Amino acid sequence: MPTLTSSSTSSLGDVLGLYSQRQEWSDVTPLPQYEEANPAAPIFYSEEYKDATDYFRGIVRTGEKSQRVLELTETIIRLNPAHYSAWQYRYETLLAINAPLDVELKLMDELAVSFLKTYQVWHHRRLLLTITRNPAPELAFIAASLKVDAKNYHTWSYRQWLLAFFNDDDLWAGELDFVDAMLAQDVRNNSAWHHRFFVVFQSGLREGETDRGRVIRRELTYVKQNISLVASNPSAWNYLRGILDANHLPYTRVEEFVKPYAASTQDTSTTDLVDLENPPPPRGAELPCAPAIEFLADIFEKEGGKDGVRKASELWRSLADEYDKIRKKYWEYRIREALQTVQE
Amino acid sequence: MTTANPNPPTPRPTPTDGFPTATSQTQAETEAILLKHIPQAGADAPVLAKSSHMQFLVRNLVQGFPARYMSQDASQPWLLFWTIQAFSILQVGLDPGNKQRVIDKTMAAQHPDGGFGGGPRQAAHLLPTYAAVCTLAIVGRSGPGGGWDQIDREKMYKFFMSLKQPDGSFLVAHHAEVDVRGIYCLLVTATLLDLLTPELVAGTASFIASCQTYEGGFSSSSQSYYTTDNVLLSTPRPPLGEAHGGYTFCALASWVLLHPFMEVEKDKPTIDARNLLRWLVNMQGTEIELGGFKGRTNKLVDGCYSWWCGGAFSLLEAFGVGGSREHIPSSTSEGEWDDADDSLFNRKALQEYILLAGQHPAGGLRDKPPKNSDAYHTLYCLSGLSAAQHHIFLSSARRDAILDAWVANPAASPDLADDIRKHVFADSLSWTEEEGGSLIVGGKDNRVNATHPVFNLTITHTEGLMSYFYKQTLPPRVKASSNS
Ligand SMILES: [Zn+2]
Repeated sequence: MPTLTSSSTSSLGDVLGLYSQRQEWSDVTPLPQYEEANPAAPIFYSEEYKDATDYFRGIVRTGEKSQRVLELTETIIRLNPAHYSAWQYRYETLLAINAPLDVELKLMDELAVSFLKTYQVWHHRRLLLTITRNPAPELAFIAASLKVDAKNYHTWSYRQWLLAFFNDDDLWAGELDFVDAMLAQDVRNNSAWHHRFFVVFQSGLREGETDRGRVIRRELTYVKQNISLVASNPSAWNYLRGILDANHLPYTRVEEFVKPYAASTQDTSTTDLVDLENPPPPRGAELPCAPAIEFLADIFEKEGGKDGVRKASELWRSLADEYDKIRKKYWEYRIREALQTVQE
Repeated sequence: MTTANPNPPTPRPTPTDGFPTATSQTQAETEAILLKHIPQAGADAPVLAKSSHMQFLVRNLVQGFPARYMSQDASQPWLLFWTIQAFSILQVGLDPGNKQRVIDKTMAAQHPDGGFGGGPRQAAHLLPTYAAVCTLAIVGRSGPGGGWDQIDREKMYKFFMSLKQPDGSFLVAHHAEVDVRGIYCLLVTATLLDLLTPELVAGTASFIASCQTYEGGFSSSSQSYYTTDNVLLSTPRPPLGEAHGGYTFCALASWVLLHPFMEVEKDKPTIDARNLLRWLVNMQGTEIELGGFKGRTNKLVDGCYSWWCGGAFSLLEAFGVGGSREHIPSSTSEGEWDDADDSLFNRKALQEYILLAGQHPAGGLRDKPPKNSDAYHTLYCLSGLSAAQHHIFLSSARRDAILDAWVANPAASPDLADDIRKHVFADSLSWTEEEGGSLIVGGKDNRVNATHPVFNLTITHTEGLMSYFYKQTLPPRVKASSNS
């Protein structure tokens, strides 16, 4: 949900005054919002906002599409970037008067930074890009705005849309390096993990990515190393599960890797050996790590039979009673469900 | 019923594994604040400050919203819905004069070409359309000036169809974005107003399914690819954006609403309910986060996800995941089950988050301390509290009774497939509160009304509006137990 913003951004109105006082707007009849004097739940608008939106309603009524409409909608957007009708009308006006879209994009560069959390800023950009069809400079722009807000949902979806929509090999080429850089800043950034999954597993096959066996090995190594940096990072554990699920691989494939993370203490005897396949928990790790216990339980459950279910249930019981008590109901549900499979 | 624990242990901080990053730092700051809201040993049970929340709501409704709500100028039907539905959850109705003012303001946002906008003369948009119709479900009535008969349903349907995309999704408004919030809002509105048709929702379930991410939750949208002769490819169809609580609620509720159409959907889409359940339970914060919900992996808890995530568990039950005691063996060797509570999330902890951290001392509810309260968080904290207090389930007995009482409408246009209409109606109205299934932290004075898991209206308001638009008389309710 967008947070409430104050109307602090300076606007053309500060310089030029209210629309109602400007000669070049005198031909427009402003339209107040409500006919009745006392609508329920009124908003206390600023004079400047009320003035601009009264003129906007007047313009919408006549259907005028002109240069000055761009000025008016900009005023409104600066005061309230969530005013989707102003955006919509602005877009139609840009097309109708054949306005130069590079100028519009420049303005958007500025507005995107001021109003990062608004849907409309990013969607308007997307509309413009489908016309200008020049996606290359966008990647750097997006990277810069992620510096301000590294988990911004709209920014990440915009990047994914851009890659998928234009689907150009040159655009895709730097994405793994980009994810690396984002995760190097914060390995817990789930948006970056999701982006990696999108790039590697969900956007079709590109050159250099066609050997899927190699890609899977690369990704498994990547995520294991990140877990061995921060053991209890749910984003990385979800990514590990994602790799295996998406490629229909059994969880046993990483059983040896997972085991030390589910143990209560660090096995110091092996930490001197470098095993790239199975990097050990970091020295500072708080063990056992709940996602690892869950992962092992899934392996045992899949193994099936009374013995598999018993071993899985013991692990779930340890989560319910000690390591992840808040989810007690869920772990007990897992026990019940698994028990049913062996009772039948 | 009291929550006071003689010796509450200090909860464990979220592990950082000796490797702090921006995420773990903001997490730790939040935990430090939340820790101060954990009551001391022997403290009184937490109280829902109903009267101060009422004052907050009344002030917004009668006096109005302060200038910072200018950012919600394009969401005016939402401001009304958040306020009015919060009254309903607090078991308070409006007087006729205020009802009429709310109806009038809502109707002023109807667009001449169908649908509702964010305010008078704003463009029609799916989100305020939902908010307007739900507001009218609460305060409206049939007849002149009542709102219900002044909704232009034919134009609304045309507006909906004009937003439809070849991949089954919908734009939220002309030239605007596609996202599952809009689809949820459209499906709720169409369901309530008897506008659902196979034509309207063709391909929509497949689109929803394509938004599920590897984590199990749903994203805002997905990207479709087409062959050169414009045939939609089933793969790749990647989600845009990561799994998110708000989108997950909307996707899952849409999935439930689309259920009567699944049979006619040609590619029989599926979702991974197990992975969804796993993701949802993992959104609940731990003891140090007071059991509130977060909206994404590695983000902070926030009161509004009490509803978007906490409210999603009832929806999961609609397709057999968790909840119903019918599926659960009556005794197990563990012998530790709490028979009063078969839910899959921690209902008690969620209520504690809302009561201890979600309430602003000056009235209204909030994301988290030390933030201010606002209209949006007030409703979704209260709705989440309601979802945590009550167990609402799909009653097959109620469904049978409604189907038995169904009167076919001879005047219905033939393409409205009367059999599907009947099932849409019965599915929507067979949600039933389980007698004895309530768990109320802080005692009975904290009780709030149950709310419909799909629509977020009270059951009574849902029944009133739907029986009017479907021209049906509902059979009386018999007392419900969970075995029905
Ligand atoms: Zn929130």
